[in-house]
Amino acid sequence: MKALVSVLAVAVLLASAVRPAIAHHSFAAEYDDQKPLKITGTLTKVDWMNPHIWYYVDVKNPDGSTTTWAISGGAPGQLMRRGITKDLLVVGSTVNVEGFKAKDGSNNGFGQRVTYQDGRNVFTATDPAGRAPK
Amino acid sequence: MKGMTSKALLLALVVACPCGWSYVAGLDAQQAASPAGVPRTADGKPDFTGTYQWPTYLPGDERGRSSATVFDRKRFAPLKPGGDVFLEPRTGDPRHDEPRDFCMPAGFPGGMLSANAMQFFQTKNHLVMVHEFQRMSRVIPLDGRAHRKGLEPMYYGDPVGRWEGDTLVIETVNFKRWGLDDYYYTNSKEYRMHSDALRTVERLRWKSPTAISYALTIDDPKIFSAPWTQEFEILSKPEWDKDGLFEYVCEENNRCPGGKCAEPK
Repeated sequence: MKALVSVLAVAVLLASAVRPAIAHHSFAAEYDDQKPLKITGTLTKVDWMNPHIWYYVDVKNPDGSTTTWAISGGAPGQLMRRGITKDLLVVGSTVNVEGFKAKDGSNNGFGQRVTYQDGRNVFTATDPAGRAPK
Repeated sequence: MKGMTSKALLLALVVACPCGWSYVAGLDAQQAASPAGVPRTADGKPDFTGTYQWPTYLPGDERGRSSATVFDRKRFAPLKPGGDVFLEPRTGDPRHDEPRDFCMPAGFPGGMLSANAMQFFQTKNHLVMVHEFQRMSRVIPLDGRAHRKGLEPMYYGDPVGRWEGDTLVIETVNFKRWGLDDYYYTNSKEYRMHSDALRTVERLRWKSPTAISYALTIDDPKIFSAPWTQEFEILSKPEWDKDGLFEYVCEENNRCPGGKCAEPK
């Protein structure tokens, strides 16, 4: 029994290290932690809306075509109370997004880490004007 | 143990764990007078008007993986025979398995434990609790009236409040069967559902000028063999006043209901 409980506890800890916290619905409802997402592209639009923000990234393909990805983040209210505001996501910028793909195979995903080309983390570091989050 | 399912294991843990469910010490503490310096109304009652963080854990309590606060299974009373309906099996239908993903209400107490700001407004005869998550609002009469009769069961139930010294006691009844908390974010096998017999009792008491003790009793005689209580802490956040609560309209841009996403344009 003890061994089984320990195994379960370790499994939960490992899972928690991978999956981000989401407030409105569980991560598993929409995303697949076995499908990592890593893209670089141009930020084209930001929906600073409930229940989660979404931002859109155009990724150039080798054949010259473009794929648009929609990436989800936290709820606007929760982000703003942490000092993270819409203007930190600058439309037209090149961003790197790391996260997980949607379960349904569509071009949607959850962004766990978003950085500008100079390495600044959009959600935890300074904004493009050099201001620290409030 | 070989071949034991996750659900069976969890039930064994719940039934075997007697710790915490009587919770005598915490209730005794609730009867104590508030310390000096806490906010009070003109008529001397503790004043809970203000802006707050959602109820958060006391040290040592089990935490879930999501940002919302969840109940610690150590607090649970043993399940009654037939109480295993507390752990609702998943069916594969997302409307059943995760109704919040379709912007259905969180309900009480789950919504109260969501990780968003709250604002309370207190008058002589009412306490209004507004929670940023789903803009949940609870209007709690304090004028001694009884629960309303003849209403359909509700996601948030029917609350009435009364004073016991410096403690505000809120009793809520007439719930629809619904999710108790967000623990299924942590373990999808543990989809905790309270019954329509749920009665909750909240006890709010200033324990310092900046923190409210929030003891939440779950009395669900179709599920548990006795009421059980978990104490949380609600921290005052006057610095959040200037921004106030933000709008929360879940339907505004819910792009992946049930895991079926709209293609990006």
